[in-house]
Amino acid sequence: MKSERRKRQRRIAISGALFALVFAVICGRAVYLQVFRGPWLNQQAVHEYEKSLQRLGKRGAIYDASGREMAFSIDVTSIAAYPGRAASAPDTARALTRVLDVDVEEIRQRLDSKRSFVWIKRQASPREADAVRSLKLAGVDFIPEHSRFYPNRTLAAQMLGFTGIDGRGLEGLEFYYDAYLKGGAGKFTVLKDALGRGFDLERTEVPDYGGRNLVLTIDKTVQFITEEALREGVAKSGASSGMAIVMSPATGQVLALAHYPFFNPNAFARFDRNLWRNRAVTDPFEPGSTTKIFTAAAAIEHGGCRRDTIFFCEDGAYRVGDYRIHDTSPHGWLTLENIIKYSSNIGAVKVGEMIGPEILYRTLRNFGFGDKTGIDCPGEAPGSLPPFRRWSKAHTGTISYGHGMSSTAIQLITAVCAIANDGVLMKPYIVQAVTDRQGRPIERFGPRKVRQAISGATASVIRGMMRGVVTEAGTGGRAALNGYAVCGKTGTAQKIDESGAYAGGKYIASFVGFAPAARPAAAILVIIDEPTSEYYGGLVAAPVFRRIAQEVLNYLNVSPKYGPNQLTALKKGEESG
Amino acid sequence: MFDRRLLIYFNWGFFGLVLSLVCVGIVTLYSAVAVGTAGPPSTLYIKQITWYGIGLFILAIVFMIDYRYFDRWAYVVYGACLILLAAVLLFGRYGGGSKRWLGFGPVHLQPSELVKIAVVFVLAHYYSRVMEPRGLTLRELIKPIILVGLPFVLIVKQPDLGTAMLVVLIAASITVFVKIEWKTLIFFIFAGAGSAAMAWLFFLKSYQKQRIMTFLDPNRDPLGTGYHIIQSKIAVGSGRISGKGLFQGTQNTLSFIPEQHTDFIFSVWAEEVGFIGSACVILAFMILIIWGLRIAHECRDPFGTTLSVGVTAMIFWQVVINIGMIMGLMPVVGMPLPFISYGGSSIVAVIVCVGILLNVSTRRFIARDGQVIG
Repeated sequence: MKSERRKRQRRIAISGALFALVFAVICGRAVYLQVFRGPWLNQQAVHEYEKSLQRLGKRGAIYDASGREMAFSIDVTSIAAYPGRAASAPDTARALTRVLDVDVEEIRQRLDSKRSFVWIKRQASPREADAVRSLKLAGVDFIPEHSRFYPNRTLAAQMLGFTGIDGRGLEGLEFYYDAYLKGGAGKFTVLKDALGRGFDLERTEVPDYGGRNLVLTIDKTVQFITEEALREGVAKSGASSGMAIVMSPATGQVLALAHYPFFNPNAFARFDRNLWRNRAVTDPFEPGSTTKIFTAAAAIEHGGCRRDTIFFCEDGAYRVGDYRIHDTSPHGWLTLENIIKYSSNIGAVKVGEMIGPEILYRTLRNFGFGDKTGIDCPGEAPGSLPPFRRWSKAHTGTISYGHGMSSTAIQLITAVCAIANDGVLMKPYIVQAVTDRQGRPIERFGPRKVRQAISGATASVIRGMMRGVVTEAGTGGRAALNGYAVCGKTGTAQKIDESGAYAGGKYIASFVGFAPAARPAAAILVIIDEPTSEYYGGLVAAPVFRRIAQEVLNYLNVSPKYGPNQLTALKKGEESG
Repeated sequence: MFDRRLLIYFNWGFFGLVLSLVCVGIVTLYSAVAVGTAGPPSTLYIKQITWYGIGLFILAIVFMIDYRYFDRWAYVVYGACLILLAAVLLFGRYGGGSKRWLGFGPVHLQPSELVKIAVVFVLAHYYSRVMEPRGLTLRELIKPIILVGLPFVLIVKQPDLGTAMLVVLIAASITVFVKIEWKTLIFFIFAGAGSAAMAWLFFLKSYQKQRIMTFLDPNRDPLGTGYHIIQSKIAVGSGRISGKGLFQGTQNTLSFIPEQHTDFIFSVWAEEVGFIGSACVILAFMILIIWGLRIAHECRDPFGTTLSVGVTAMIFWQVVINIGMIMGLMPVVGMPLPFISYGGSSIVAVIVCVGILLNVSTRRFIARDGQVIG
């Protein structure tokens, strides 16, 4: 009995040793996993539960030349949901629709989806966000975002463009300067669980990776004056649309760039997409008679002509190749100056024939036709100016008065500015500086000379001719200002329809000019598309030019040189210069 | 009626060790269910505390009854358990793809947990009478094979292969402890290997084969069956030496650990208190096992000794299989960790084991004269 118990006890001891051995193995495994493999396995764990999130910093603002806000971003809250964490999709959806203006069925479907994250309402108003917050719904989260705001609503909308809901620039300057404006990507980590849902967003600690600000050459007041005048002009003439540009000839700074009809970038989706385009830069058109000043410049610079060189204008009808060219009123012999003054098509054709295609082509190219100006706007079109070797005789004729070629509004005003600027072609630009969050300039953009398009002397002669346009007898008399001498040129071009033929009764009326004549402070181009009451540039566009010029010169504090009574004397013969 | 000596000889140390494991269990379960983002209802730990209470009450009863009554009533207990097991197959409740529970109102009983103890009873009863220094012969083993085979088949039918294998392991441990003839032992080893091969070829369900294959190479299917092993190892390892802090475990609170309140609860503990904590618990279990064997060692009669060895082996295998599985040493089988995993039947069963060991331990001097007291 005794020995049996002893034997049992020996076997118990052996069992104990075996059991202890197994425990030693397990303990060894714990050492291996937790001590030796611990750092690596911990890394694996971090991979699982850390999620790197990216949030864009606040987008930079856009200011006008005097620091007035044209566009800025505001903090808003977006409401989102993690469907897996929501208690019940129908209940949650019903609760949300009580405080939000959303479709209950759509929200229910989103909450039922298998995705781990869905939006309920992007960029909700603070009141909506607070209302949803007070519901304390499971699985509903609030994500801080930025919303773009254009305080001046429609002002300069086509030029500014707009951003999408994710804060990316989609059109206009917002698109062109997106790399500057957009906020940096702030990276931060959150915890996520096995179902991929994020937690513990330490939102207050997210550093501010704000974007840069833009300072424009645009002046909000000038822009406003321009838009108002344009709106009125389009309405009065029953036109379909219009554009106007105000530019500083000496620098190439664009002071205003207006399109009508307007659209509101705060709600761009509610407008026809065709209104979004910055047509002054993207849409070429046949410039028509305004081109005659460049033909005249070519004749004086290279063709050996003077302002009083005379041309026979065929009494109103002239045949070039297959084309019959008419003048509005028949003329006999006209000086070069008067060809411009009365805008004689036949006279311009005669000038073109005299100087030949090459000189005309090269001069137009020197003024920038056929090339992009390089203005800082997206989608610029170069217009079309075919090489002179391909010109037919008729081509040379029509191009002399601005048909058979095309140009954008910005090209035309830039070229006219070269005449105002003693023949120096400047590059047009809209952004003069990029500043950081504190408003300190990071980059500045100044005036850039492109080339000497014509000599200063020629430019001076052309200015004299353009002065003649804005007289009682000239086509642009309605552009005359009180107290300032104006140089200008009218344009009336028949529109081409889709088939390439001239559409009957559809015109583009334009007026381009600058003032004061002696020391131009502002060059202004007005284009009225498809006017219905009248269609001559001198009747439709010149009054708009007049209104813009008058108000802008006043606003810019340009001192009037001549009283109204002296103006008539001035017309009589004083040289401008 | 109440023998004062039961208090004098009460094994306070052993009981205290068990209570400290219970405390670890409550804290870990709280962390697993009440902290973090998702998972089982957070009030489960209160239910668990209730189960501990019920367990202690049953422990008191088991403790009071002299263990030699278990010898006498072993077949009755065994028979009752078999009836419950049969009832499970007939009226049982489905859960997780198998029928394991019997419902009694709000209480759900898992008879397979109790049958483990019943098997220990009958084997201790039988072996204490046939023990021979030469070891057991094949003929003497026929009866135990039948005694183990019946519940084994009933549990496999549920199906709950993990518990069925555990019953066999416990029975084998007791049998080897009691001593088998060498040639018989060798025969069984070959028979076991043969039947394992047969089982693999004919009986194992594909998910069971998957588990074993995945254990051999968890990265075979990292999002499917390998997910448990990989996540468990990551949780344990990422605790490193000192842990992430109680209730701070990322893998636990962010629900990466599967079954974090039942089978994989030890990874929660290991993650949050690190190697120091897991080593403490492993050590505590080892002391508990050695202490159980010591109780067997001190017991004077063959039944008490065999009984103590049996219940100790039962706790041992559950701990080893569970922690081994969590640390990637064993394939994934459904096996709760004694004292710590959530689950009423498993808690009650293991506390009954503790009651039996305390019972034997306390009566080591009292029962010298062979007279039954209680």
